[in-house]
Amino acid sequence: MKQTAESIKDRFLKLGIDVPEEDIESRLDELITKFKVPSNEAQRSVTNYFLKKYSIPKNEFYARQAEPQLTKITDILENGQWANMKVKVIQLWENTHESISQVGLLGDETGIIKFTKWQNTELPDLEQGESYLLRNIVIDEYNGKFQVKLNRTSSVEKLAEAVDVAGGDFTPAARESELMNIADLKEDNQWATIRGKIVQLWENSHEAIEQAGLIGDETGVIKFTNWASSELPDMEEGKSYLLKNIVVNEWNGRFQVKLNRASSIEELDEDIEVGTSTFTYFGALVDIQTGSGLIKRCPECKRALVKGACAEHGKVKGEYDLRIKAVMDSGTSTQDALINRELTEELAGISLDSAIAMAADALDPGVVLDRLKHELVGRYYTVTGHKLDRYILVESIAPRVSLDGELLEEMLVDLGVE
Amino acid sequence: MAGFFREVARRVFAQELKDSNLTSRDESDQYAPQYLLTPTGAKVNRIFLVGTLIEKEDIGTDSEYWRGRVSDPTGSFLVYAGQYQPEAAQFLAECELPAFVAVVGKTSTYTTDDGNVLTSIRPESIQPVDELTRDLWVLDTAKQTLERINAFEKQEEPNAKLAKEHYTTDSAFYRSMVQKALESLRENV
Repeated sequence: MKQTAESIKDRFLKLGIDVPEEDIESRLDELITKFKVPSNEAQRSVTNYFLKKYSIPKNEFYARQAEPQLTKITDILENGQWANMKVKVIQLWENTHESISQVGLLGDETGIIKFTKWQNTELPDLEQGESYLLRNIVIDEYNGKFQVKLNRTSSVEKLAEAVDVAGGDFTPAARESELMNIADLKEDNQWATIRGKIVQLWENSHEAIEQAGLIGDETGVIKFTNWASSELPDMEEGKSYLLKNIVVNEWNGRFQVKLNRASSIEELDEDIEVGTSTFTYFGALVDIQTGSGLIKRCPECKRALVKGACAEHGKVKGEYDLRIKAVMDSGTSTQDALINRELTEELAGISLDSAIAMAADALDPGVVLDRLKHELVGRYYTVTGHKLDRYILVESIAPRVSLDGELLEEMLVDLGVE
Repeated sequence: MAGFFREVARRVFAQELKDSNLTSRDESDQYAPQYLLTPTGAKVNRIFLVGTLIEKEDIGTDSEYWRGRVSDPTGSFLVYAGQYQPEAAQFLAECELPAFVAVVGKTSTYTTDDGNVLTSIRPESIQPVDELTRDLWVLDTAKQTLERINAFEKQEEPNAKLAKEHYTTDSAFYRSMVQKALESLRENV
């Protein structure tokens, strides 16, 4: 114990502080003897106590002991490389995955890089705007972009001195992301550059959000979020922009894009035409799924009720509605289609009122579903509408009314028939 | 939606289904679907067909077990519905013959004592339809069968290779089957 006390004293002496050895010893003794703390733990605890007492920043004390080899962001070249870095947390992103504890951007004098801190690392949370020394982090390459990951062996040490960060619009040149069609943004955490027109700006619900809305190109429309912390200029509805280095994010099966500190916004002179992204599917209607027919909806949120209860608002007095969740099948693919009340009424020749009457008569709303199946299943239809997740929201549905004679003749010619 | 996808309902003429006897399933998974490989290389689990219901019979001993025969221009399909297909069984019990019907169901096979493999369909749904729908199905199935035959002749896909190996398929035979089906349509136009 004497030895331990001396080594603590020595280290403080190097910082120009003479800590009385009796003080060190009595504290160590209390921990080790009275409270059965292992000696190395006790040593650390006592050291920290005196660091606090003399107001010495911990990182300064430990940093002096062993200055790690530091890597600058632009020097990151190799996937799988381990590194120590002094960085500033430029931005923390909203984190969508439960196994991730924090995700965002780090920067130093040379560049900006994305980082991920896993939930199971049990490291302290990083704060936006603070600088840190990160030890034992791993470089990872994904889609041609580098990122760093904090893992179980990593350590995080807050620095008193802020790390200088290259200008806000700085993007590592070698890592500019690929220009993509909005319809092709289908991968979570993918970096991309898109060009599109601001279709709609939404009312801003959160102070951390600078702007949110919809941006579209010829292939489709996607939600975007521009965080206030990204310090990017505002965009105007109806104007077209080039958004570089944005990140695709999946939430509840839907994709959106987020602008971050590494992103840039460039106004374009052209007027991009936004694709309506309507989708047409021809096939046989092979199934009508449960939850179709006469249903009840929550009067507040319009969700379909399950056993008379709304997932959000609980037991409510439902409002009747008619709808069909149909499965279309072309023989090579299947497509789910949602058919609303208006189209259902037209297609099956039943009004909502007559459906309610049918159900009341039979004391069973299932008769409406049976009737719909009877009228529709097994027939060929062309449906048109917008795609939402796995569904087409059907805007028009038309039965095939005649045989395609041309196709018939074409095939017969192919077969060598006169 | 990882892990789950809906099996596509394949379009196969009765003749081709009757000629099929090669089944496969992932043995490591007891819930894995069973597929029937047809001579032109269709891998069928679910099937969609429209034809004429020409016979029906309750062959059940204790409970009702209905067998229906549905014909298309090339032959006929056998459809079996019992207590686990209540809607289809009820339809077969009540319907009048003959009738145009659309059937969605799963293929199944039965090996007889002398080693013959009989194919049949366990219906998920049987609904009455009109004549036009029946003609549309014949055209649809002709088109998809021809596309399969063309792909089969290229011998590029594993299913085509496997079908060739197992059945030593004569594609000309199935071309003439499609032709027969199409010609029957032309008479109706």
